[in-house]
Amino acid sequence: MSSSLESLVTSLVPQSRQDATLRKELVSHCQEILSSHIGQSTDNDIGHLADIAKRTLLQSAPDGTTALRFTNLLSRLLDQPILSRKHASLQFLHALSLSPRMSSISPAFLPSLAPPPPPSRPPTTTPTPVDSGPPAKLPRGKSKAELLREYRNKIGRPHLPEHLILRDTLYLLQGISGKYVHFSASRDPNGNNELVFTDDPTYVISRPTKALVHRLAEVGHLYIRVDAFVREREGKTGVGMIEQSLCHHLQTQLTEYYRLIAVLESQMASHTSGDDPPGQSSTEVREETGLTLKRLDVWIEDWKLRMRMMSVCVEGAKGAHGGALVNLIHGYADNGDPFIRKFTDQLLEEVSKPFFAALHKWLFSGELVDPFSEFFVAVDPELAHLQYGQPANDGIGASGGDGGFGGFGDNEDMSVEREAGLRLWESKYRFQKDMLPAFVGEVFGRKIFSTGKSLNFIRYTCHDSDWVATQEKLSNSSGTLRYTDIAGLERSIDTAYQIASQRLFEVFFEKYRLLDHLQALNHYLLLGYGDFIDQLMEALSSSLSKPANTLYRHNLTATLESAIRSSNAQNDSPDVLRRLDARMLEYSHGEIGWDVFTLEYKVDSPIDTVIDSEAMVKYLKLFNHMWKIKRIEGTLTKGWMRLAGGSRTFLQVPELDFDWHQIRIVMAEMIHFIRQMGAYCQLEVIECSWKILLEFIQKREGDLDALIEAHGAYLDRMVKKVLLLSPKAGREENLLNQVRDVFAIILQFREATDDFYNYCLSEAARRDSEHDAARGVFTGIPASGSNRHDPEAVHDILTRVREYGTSFSERVQAIVQALSTHTDLDCRFLAIRLSFSDFYKTRKEPQKS
Amino acid sequence: MSSRESDRITAAQQTLDVLYDISQLLNTGLDKETLATCVGMIESGVNPEALAAVIQELRRESQALSGRPTTNGR
Repeated sequence: MSSSLESLVTSLVPQSRQDATLRKELVSHCQEILSSHIGQSTDNDIGHLADIAKRTLLQSAPDGTTALRFTNLLSRLLDQPILSRKHASLQFLHALSLSPRMSSISPAFLPSLAPPPPPSRPPTTTPTPVDSGPPAKLPRGKSKAELLREYRNKIGRPHLPEHLILRDTLYLLQGISGKYVHFSASRDPNGNNELVFTDDPTYVISRPTKALVHRLAEVGHLYIRVDAFVREREGKTGVGMIEQSLCHHLQTQLTEYYRLIAVLESQMASHTSGDDPPGQSSTEVREETGLTLKRLDVWIEDWKLRMRMMSVCVEGAKGAHGGALVNLIHGYADNGDPFIRKFTDQLLEEVSKPFFAALHKWLFSGELVDPFSEFFVAVDPELAHLQYGQPANDGIGASGGDGGFGGFGDNEDMSVEREAGLRLWESKYRFQKDMLPAFVGEVFGRKIFSTGKSLNFIRYTCHDSDWVATQEKLSNSSGTLRYTDIAGLERSIDTAYQIASQRLFEVFFEKYRLLDHLQALNHYLLLGYGDFIDQLMEALSSSLSKPANTLYRHNLTATLESAIRSSNAQNDSPDVLRRLDARMLEYSHGEIGWDVFTLEYKVDSPIDTVIDSEAMVKYLKLFNHMWKIKRIEGTLTKGWMRLAGGSRTFLQVPELDFDWHQIRIVMAEMIHFIRQMGAYCQLEVIECSWKILLEFIQKREGDLDALIEAHGAYLDRMVKKVLLLSPKAGREENLLNQVRDVFAIILQFREATDDFYNYCLSEAARRDSEHDAARGVFTGIPASGSNRHDPEAVHDILTRVREYGTSFSERVQAIVQALSTHTDLDCRFLAIRLSFSDFYKTRKEPQKS
Repeated sequence: MSSRESDRITAAQQTLDVLYDISQLLNTGLDKETLATCVGMIESGVNPEALAAVIQELRRESQALSGRPTTNGR
């Protein structure tokens, strides 16, 4: 360093070659200059430098050839790999080139804090102050401003020198009160501070300065707010992750701000340290000082915006929480100002990190990692423990070998468990719309919610955590979720959703054989297995006509088992069969077995999520109705057989033949009614609904919610149509009641005809024996006198039969009428089926006329 | 190794040539040797503007010295 300096000195000042003292002097002088802070500012922009150089060249040689050549040389220089400080060399050359001409163009650098002193200006230590500096000292005539200042000095109220107010302002920027200006807590209820200028009798702060300080102090005020927010959060426990990251971001911003303040302060210090006592603030100093209030204003401008944004965020953060906070910040991202947009994007990127971490966990492993409940999925604390509470070995498929119906332990336990399935699915996690960040969108939010729920369900309720874990690993490789990559986010959500719902379907239909269970329900509870039901009814009919309290469950289950054994149902898988159970409903006094008997199909977790207890109730309702229809049908068929066979062979009572004919007509009508009813239920309602459900299942779209919904729709459709429910409020069951009445009438009719049959039988026997006696053949003990033909009794019976017959007809008529105006199309078709030949219509018109 | 060294030297030479051309163009009045010294100093971290001031200072000094007869009695 010093050797090169020496060589410089010798080459430039030839005299020093001989003179060692001169050389030494010069070298030390040069070192002084080098170590002074001439040209502290470093402008690293080589392009800018080149521009300036070109401009000077153009000035000297306007034809532009030199400038062109300069450009060429410069580009060649830039290609050279050797130099590491090309801009510095260039700057050096440029500075030298300026000096000989003594041009006063100081490189007009941007409004930088400290414009580099023009290189031509000699350092103060220069012993030979030759041609230098800006044209010094203005003409000595006093300007108006100076006059004013002098006057002010004279009356003892001079303006406060700028560097003092400047220092105070810098304090203000850091939220500290200065000597002349300070913050004071105001009476404003919001706790906002107020800027107060200290009254100092010796100085006056001019109005424009005050305004300027006010403007600058805004930043300080905002800073106080932001800083207070960050401090407050720092000390508190239980601050949400999102809030923490907001604080973190704010803190880094503030650090940046501190840096700026520090730079500003150093600028001020370097230029005011050598300053004279305040009273003598010369214009020169003022001009050269890097920092003035106005410059400060310019420098702070950028930060003012930032501080405003931060303060707004802080204000919002007080009320919002978690996702809502992200939402709030996202609201500012749609701004036309690129600066604000950029700032907000940065902030969001930072703030949304914990959100995305939670999202990732939820989306790919179905776990809610959200210690401060900031995610838009909330867990129900009551149900949270249930995921582990379910015993892993509650006997799904494993104990199928026992084949018994009592294999399910006590009922109470089951019902608790059954309750749990759907409740767990439906209310373990809640979707919180206000916590959902707006950039995700509600549709995607729902998808995310459902995906995580599905995964969680697969994992804990279906005991399939291995699969979930594998998936999670796979997803980890595919990259992270970030705010800046919304499209990628949506893509990953879509795929995750699809994978999860696919898997859920798989689990349900393959591992837990949901379809088999649904089919079994269809076969057993909705009487899909005709032979089985016939067997069961035959075996049970004798015991079911007894009062309900004489029935025993073990008898019922035994009968049920024998019915299964003797019908096609035995081919069903044992897992299905062991779930089937027969039991009695709660009975009250006077009810018979028919009223209380029911079949039951037991499902357990996780199938009970789809087939929940409510659905079970509906199935039972349907079964009840169908079972009744079946029973009536069976009764009528048997009655008809007896009647048709008997009347030909041994019921030879000629005077009653007409009545028998009438009875047959009414019975045929009843059989028609009940058969149409049954066919309607089986073919038009159950099978059609079943087909719709099957189609949905084969499509395999949607998630568990969709599946539950589809099953619910299937059931509701059946309940509505089989039970002929009308949508009118309060009168839903009108038709059903009528139909039940009709059923009751049919049964009574059947009883009455049975009485009639018995009467006819005994009458025929009596006549036969009379006949035999007349022929002189002894055929048994002669009937006692009381057992004679009694027209009173037969009349009584016949009246009953007729009464039931006509009331049946009337009711069916009413039913058909009601059905033909039913809102449901299928029900209207039932009306048409029932009165296909306009039988009921034609009967009605004569009545009217 | 030696070829790399020679490459380096030629590159340095070229750079210096270019710099010298620029220097000529900008009319700095530096000869090649001085320029090489200065660039070397700048590369080692000397502030370019300060260095420019030094050069000027030295020139001025030299002028002043040559302007008057040698005063130290020789």
